[in-house]
Amino acid sequence: MMRSYLVFHRLATGLAKCRASSFGVRTWVLAAVLTSTAPAFAHIIPPEKLHPVAESYRRAGFLLNLNPVLWEQVAPDVSAIANYWMALDSKAAGDLLANANRIIAEATRGPDQQAAVEPMPRAEAAERIFVLLTEAVSQIGQRQLRAAERNLEQREDALALMREARGIFGAFDDVLRATDRDAFRRLGWSWLEMSSALGSRGLLGKGVAPVEHERFVAAAREIATYMQANFGVGFLPVKGRKLAPWPARSKTFDASARPPIKLPPGHNINKQLPRPRQILNMATRGVDEGETTLIALGDMAFDSSFIFGEPAQSLGISCNSCHNKSITNPNFIIPGLSSRPGGMDVSNSFFAPHANNGHFDALDTPDLRGIRFTAPYGRNGRFESLTEFVRNVIVNEFNGPEPDPVLLDGLIAYMFEFDFLPNQHLNRDGALNGQAPQAALRGEEIFLRPFEQMGGMSCATCHVPSANFLDHKRHDLGTVPGAEDRSRDGALDTPTLLGIKHTPPYFHDGSQPTLRAVTEWFNDNYKLRLSEQELSDLTAYVDTVGDGVDAFEDTQFTLEAEMEEFSFFMSAYEFLVERNKPELMAMTFQTIAFEIRAHKWDLQDWTHMPVLERMAELMDQAYGAVRAGDRGRVGELVSEYRQTYEKYKDVLN
Amino acid sequence: MSTRRGMNVPFWLIAGWLAIVGSSPVFGGGERGGNQLPKKPPKLTVDPKAKPLTIAFISYANPQHVAKDSAAISKYLEPYVGVPVKGFVTTDYGSSVETMRSGQTDLAFVDPLAFLMAHEQIGAKPLVLEVYSTGKPTYYSCIWVQKDSGIKKPADLKGKSIAFADQVDMSGHLMPRDIFVRLGLLPADKLEGAFFKQVYFAGGDEQAIRAVTNGFVDAAGISQFAYLLLRPQERDGVTVIAKSIDSPAHLIMARKGLSEKICKRIQQAFMALDPSNPHDQELLGKLYGVQGYVEAKMSDFAEVAKIAGRYGFIRKPEAFAVKEKP
Repeated sequence: MMRSYLVFHRLATGLAKCRASSFGVRTWVLAAVLTSTAPAFAHIIPPEKLHPVAESYRRAGFLLNLNPVLWEQVAPDVSAIANYWMALDSKAAGDLLANANRIIAEATRGPDQQAAVEPMPRAEAAERIFVLLTEAVSQIGQRQLRAAERNLEQREDALALMREARGIFGAFDDVLRATDRDAFRRLGWSWLEMSSALGSRGLLGKGVAPVEHERFVAAAREIATYMQANFGVGFLPVKGRKLAPWPARSKTFDASARPPIKLPPGHNINKQLPRPRQILNMATRGVDEGETTLIALGDMAFDSSFIFGEPAQSLGISCNSCHNKSITNPNFIIPGLSSRPGGMDVSNSFFAPHANNGHFDALDTPDLRGIRFTAPYGRNGRFESLTEFVRNVIVNEFNGPEPDPVLLDGLIAYMFEFDFLPNQHLNRDGALNGQAPQAALRGEEIFLRPFEQMGGMSCATCHVPSANFLDHKRHDLGTVPGAEDRSRDGALDTPTLLGIKHTPPYFHDGSQPTLRAVTEWFNDNYKLRLSEQELSDLTAYVDTVGDGVDAFEDTQFTLEAEMEEFSFFMSAYEFLVERNKPELMAMTFQTIAFEIRAHKWDLQDWTHMPVLERMAELMDQAYGAVRAGDRGRVGELVSEYRQTYEKYKDVLN
Repeated sequence: MSTRRGMNVPFWLIAGWLAIVGSSPVFGGGERGGNQLPKKPPKLTVDPKAKPLTIAFISYANPQHVAKDSAAISKYLEPYVGVPVKGFVTTDYGSSVETMRSGQTDLAFVDPLAFLMAHEQIGAKPLVLEVYSTGKPTYYSCIWVQKDSGIKKPADLKGKSIAFADQVDMSGHLMPRDIFVRLGLLPADKLEGAFFKQVYFAGGDEQAIRAVTNGFVDAAGISQFAYLLLRPQERDGVTVIAKSIDSPAHLIMARKGLSEKICKRIQQAFMALDPSNPHDQELLGKLYGVQGYVEAKMSDFAEVAKIAGRYGFIRKPEAFAVKEKP
């Protein structure tokens, strides 16, 4: 019973390191050797373990609550549930599939004006599919329970079937735990009763415990009865509330309770490892970080989910979630909101229903390096000012309150420090130097070559080498599907080419997976008639321009750098006192406490865990004190935090 | 309490942390043999026609994966024993011991309980103990409760409910149960209705600790490592109120009659695996992710043998309380 966590713990704690450091960038060397398995660092939250049926049900439930519903993402989950059921009851599974497909077809067909047939309204179709899936999951679970009962003579079979049933029941766990706690506990006992009633097959003839049939059956029937009553045939969602398996027929259902806010299975908001190397201009210049107060405040805000509203706040999502250390997080994906990893539809109904534009337009997350040089902002360049853009992200994309002007200034000050990666192959004017690969040098000629097919323009007309490879204009290349025929709604801001080697995929929607695919797209769409060699050379050029020195940190251990960063956050404290900004103080304390807890399991030597616990606790207390208006106490707690950090910073890694 | 860099952690920091510290894999117990690893035995020419040495590996979840790993271990071992080595995978200790009983298996990866029974029934010998990331060839069990439950000590669980992992499980039942017996709270021969209001066998460590976090039971008696099965953000919700005696780690045992010379070479080959050596580290990764091996002695099992005897799994626990030659 011990094996499953041994590997985890070895990776979490069994690695030693030595380091060489400079401000802002940590160079770590792994003294111990990693195995071929990627290390399971503890701030990387593993996906919740769910039975495939429960996983599909929960994801489908999330998708069906969105506007728009991405039916093409719902359909695979319907199929997955039907396929599992197929082996148990092919007729019922076939009916589920046929009914669901018919509803999806009705919801997605275009209006037929001749026949006067309108598509089925989204909400109606979503509800009907959700009802079908809820009834199906309930029936599948009950069926497995009955099968377990029938197989009690073969203990191992019964055990396997009971585990299947328990896994399927997991589809309803979150909602039950929140809205019918009595039943959740009662049914929890029932599962334990069943497990215990299965006795033991013993070991080498000892410790054998017989199966207790009646005990098992009684517990299984209690669960099946509950499932049938609340989620079985005839299940009805609660009107006026989002689609969820509300156990509304249970006498102990608490209609006022709210289930926890969760992202659907298949999401990933973990940051990438190794971390991208962040270059802050002031740090590179050797500036004392303790004197860059506004930047420190902005750094804190960039990492804080508390600048956003719900649900982002509860989910711990911050600017840093998508723009990890200012660079695109290629892992970030949320089913229903993303079309692929590294992007999201930011005008959606989940994070900010008030600002939903009602259609799915997922964007590839842009790299923020060098952002002070890349105006206008937004993929379609809709904001000339970064301040306006950031405010819109906070208020309209992530449902946050109107940001304090000082906070907004801090964010902008921080973001204006993001530098491009240095590139050893580029001169100041953006031309390649003699150190660049030959293929890239040949590609540069193509890049600068005017093409008749492009109205006499070259690639460099828009991606101006001497201007950080952009022209600050918007162009319509035909990559955005128009709202209607001949729409003029597809112009996009010219992106820089600097650093792009490390931020695939490409185009505003991430539709091009590689730089080669991009060059081929231009060759095909503008009929440039480039040879295979020219395409390779052009790709090599873009690859060289888009490269940079040390794009990633060479360690996977991040706690020491994180702790140093939290200390940087705290350097804004005196400024906030002076400006009388208790709300921003509170936000700083909340953010540090949250971040310490998120990262504490990364600690390599867990004997120092009490130090981290204490530091998080100090931040909790400081938050409480600032809320209570006890400024004196806040000062004491901040002082203690700083002293604790200084005393133990060498071991908090 | 000294830390890696010799810094002392003050009492105020430790006070609220003792429970987790007590359960943390990085604490407790003493290391054996210091940091000096033995040298690998001289390599021999492998006689392809010789009778193979057979090893039973254990798999809990993914037999195919273990089978793949076992091939690398067999290959490593061959030049040290001079005969072909064949590994096979079982999914329970009972099967491993039965194949050893029938002469089909020479070596087996087992837990202490399976070894105790195999020694008593078929004369199996302990060869090497696994060393965990704690640096120790031991582990222990804990009584886990919700941190805010108000339950501070085992006696507080009178009239309450507890979940164990499985009836036949040293770390997930016998050792934690023994905590209550040693404290005089529970008779050795009666579990139900004696002290606890309700006792469950949840089916595994994860199910047991989740029964605590979900509020289905008041406590769980399971391994010290169980909290690692929770997601990081869930771990702060549980704490430890008591821990068991140390148990020797999982081990490799040999069948009765396997030559002393071969046993010695196998011991040396495993004990010489050096986690700071990349190749060895890779092998250790395939060996259930342990940090290394130390020699196993019969006396290591003396205390857990008493527990196994108390609950009827072995008849003569005193047989393990032997004094070995240094």
